[in-house]
Amino acid sequence: MTQFPWLTSYPAATRPDLGQVPERTLPELLRGSAAQYGDTIAFTQVMPNGMNGSLRYDEVDRLSDEFAVYLREVVGLRAGDRVAVQMPNCLSYPVVAFGVLKAGCVLVNTNPLYTRPEMVHQFADAGARALVISDIFADRLPDVLPSTSVETVVTVPISAFFPRVIAGIIRATQKYWQRSLPAITVDHTPLRAALAEGRERRPSADLSAYLADVGPESVAALQYTGGTTGVSKGAMLSHGNLVTNTRQMLEMLGDHVRPGKETVLTALPLYHIFAFTVNLLGFHTMGGRNLLIPTPRPPSNLKRAFENYRITWLTGVNTLFNALLNERWFVEHPPRHLVASAAGGMALHASVAERWREVTGTPIVEGYGLTESSPVLTFNPLGSTIKDGTIGIPVPSTEVRCVADDGAPLGPGEAGELVARGPQIMLGYWQRPEETAATVRGGWLYTGDVAEMDADGFFRIVDRKKDVVNVSGFNVYPTEVEACLTAMPGIREAGVIGAPDERTGESVRAYVVAEDPRPTEAEVIAHCRANLAAYKVPRSVEFLDELPLSNVGKILRRELRDDPPVTAGSSAHATSDTKAERS
Amino acid sequence: MTGTVPLAVLGITGPPPDHQVVTEFEQVMLVALVFVIMFGLGAGLTPRDFLSALRRPQGLLIGWVTQFGIMPFLAFVLVLVFLLPLPEEYAIPVAIGALLMGAVPAGTTSNIFTYFSKGNLALSVMMTTNSTLWALLMTPLALVLYGSRFLPADSDLQIPTQNIVVTLVVLLVPVVIGMLIRRYNANVGAVLELMGGLVGVFFIVFLLVTWVPRNWRLLVITPIQVYAVAVLLGLLGITVAFLISKAIRLHPANARTVALETGIQNGPLAIAIVLLTFADSEALGILLLVPALYSLFIVLIATAVTLRFRRANVAEEQKIPSLL
Repeated sequence: MTQFPWLTSYPAATRPDLGQVPERTLPELLRGSAAQYGDTIAFTQVMPNGMNGSLRYDEVDRLSDEFAVYLREVVGLRAGDRVAVQMPNCLSYPVVAFGVLKAGCVLVNTNPLYTRPEMVHQFADAGARALVISDIFADRLPDVLPSTSVETVVTVPISAFFPRVIAGIIRATQKYWQRSLPAITVDHTPLRAALAEGRERRPSADLSAYLADVGPESVAALQYTGGTTGVSKGAMLSHGNLVTNTRQMLEMLGDHVRPGKETVLTALPLYHIFAFTVNLLGFHTMGGRNLLIPTPRPPSNLKRAFENYRITWLTGVNTLFNALLNERWFVEHPPRHLVASAAGGMALHASVAERWREVTGTPIVEGYGLTESSPVLTFNPLGSTIKDGTIGIPVPSTEVRCVADDGAPLGPGEAGELVARGPQIMLGYWQRPEETAATVRGGWLYTGDVAEMDADGFFRIVDRKKDVVNVSGFNVYPTEVEACLTAMPGIREAGVIGAPDERTGESVRAYVVAEDPRPTEAEVIAHCRANLAAYKVPRSVEFLDELPLSNVGKILRRELRDDPPVTAGSSAHATSDTKAERS
Repeated sequence: MTGTVPLAVLGITGPPPDHQVVTEFEQVMLVALVFVIMFGLGAGLTPRDFLSALRRPQGLLIGWVTQFGIMPFLAFVLVLVFLLPLPEEYAIPVAIGALLMGAVPAGTTSNIFTYFSKGNLALSVMMTTNSTLWALLMTPLALVLYGSRFLPADSDLQIPTQNIVVTLVVLLVPVVIGMLIRRYNANVGAVLELMGGLVGVFFIVFLLVTWVPRNWRLLVITPIQVYAVAVLLGLLGITVAFLISKAIRLHPANARTVALETGIQNGPLAIAIVLLTFADSEALGILLLVPALYSLFIVLIATAVTLRFRRANVAEEQKIPSLL
């Protein structure tokens, strides 16, 4: 691998090739850190008012063992069975997720913001046999479960593993003040009961047997993504993928992550691959303490976490960093013990990066990756040169290059599709061989992003996957939103694009052709809200007489984006005037 | 012999002369409640908050002006218009109570109403703290400034400025302890903070179920003018502060906050000050009239205002606890 230009850009302590990583599976990785850091705090969940609960490494290890036993012995799952997990960041998440992995089952991370149809699609597609869900979302289950293969439901309170009195107060507040605890009408087992059953059978259970057939090539997680085509599908991430990517990322960060000393703010949701690998697996491997934030918005919800804990690391998307920089309390009292911050998920704006360094006096580095690559492909080297506006250099044992349309590799300064290969590239899409073949070709992952490399091996994204809208690091696939729009009576055609948005980077804008009587913008948005997760709902809806179409009838989103049409909204003749001028 | 009622001056028959307007049990209860409230206030604070406030005084300045400029002045005007025409022996103690009510800092209940009005909670907490600290200087100053305008020089009843300062200092002790507790245990701190807010509500319930029935006869014969002062102080305070905030174009959420913060005074604190500084006075019961009535009516007024404010606000509600 000596010929790659980025090799000279690695920090001195970073090995360019990891070789074989020490752990074969995620449970090995987890048990290793539990043995090493047993009595130190692994997770602390911080509520907006400062109420908190913590679990030590040995507690998480024991509880997740119990949950694994429950899944195997009580529910009767087998290795490779899928378990969907749907909750915001909370102490139950590591217990449940680690338990699923220790049971040899496959973790299906699910966005809690998903609406009923989205849940149905994901659970059915994954063939999930069990679902672990936060009780505040359980009211969706009666509509969802009948169309899926889910047999067992475990419910989780947001206050699980908190000190008893505090949990009681939170519970009472949810129940009587906010009335956010729906009645659960489907058969379910509360997490506490599940763990008790697991505990009971633990002495007679053989946990190592659960993993007898699980190796680096076994699927650990189905991480759903729209990929380049938009239909939500599960990227099969193997134990080897995730263990290696964790090690690759840590190798790159070098001694900036001090064993047993870091406290990382985990405001990004753990069901998202970025926080899952970087925070949950990465910092946990190094004996760090994860501060789990269930609701990071509004940003003032983070105030108590910053006041009460010595935060040394922060990971986030551009939106989060920008939001914090707009909070007075943050700017006036930036965290004093911060070592560095890592940004991913979406482009980190140069202005935000610059201001962040100025305010906190610490570096911020941008990385890049896809769900399909577990996710980290490149990172700016903290111990070496950091180049703003670039996504850095490939992490160890990873090859990245830009290729022309015919697949031929391009030289420095030439823009082409970014492709990558390495031990972190997914096994493929779950039950979708064609989509897999289109995305992973000859071991190379085709990202669909257009990039160029400089002489030092730093990559810069020139053009993002054209059509995907990136709302605060969440990918929104226009086809999905368009399908939702055209399902609404009165809407004939729809085209969806991303519009620049100061807060979220991009926001969803819809152009629709509607029949008379035309629905109002509010009605259209309400329809989307009922069927799509909030971040996918169009921020604005424009009404057109017709959409720009290609000769095969494909909606030309590029035209909508580059040359926004004058809408038929207020006055029809204004539109025709403009058209006349243009032609 | 605390709190007998010199009602004879009004020419009406009131409760028996040995009727206690506030029993000793109630006194202890009320002072304890104030301590809990102050604990809660402290538990929500860090030294950073003070540094931030000092760095940007203009934000708090408006609150300071409405709190110590407008409220005592409003109380004074209401005293002049409604109370002074009454017989002097009755009017003076009621007026001192009313003036005190106008001069005390903002109450912690304002934070709850701000929360429900979708105002700026951080600003509300900071204004409450700020005015509580400033009260050391401003409350006695306002009392002396306005009190000297109507207090006869030879009156038995004088404003015990020193005692008031001492009381306020004593009440700052739980604030500091609250801050320390929160520093060492965030959970206990958060519980104290929550309790501080709830106790404000409990205080009203306490007044309603014990004090009101026991003093029913006294309340029935209390002149309408006294009620007018108790009601108008809060209502006008909120209105004037809101109009000023609008005039200087504060953000709507901040305008709502400043309005509620200004109009909602720390009723329990005013009562505690009366109890601790006028303990031996014959007129204790009368001194407490406006603070007690104000504390009852402000809940109704603030609720009505909050409902009105909420109608102007359609922000999306969060499903995961945002209060917590």
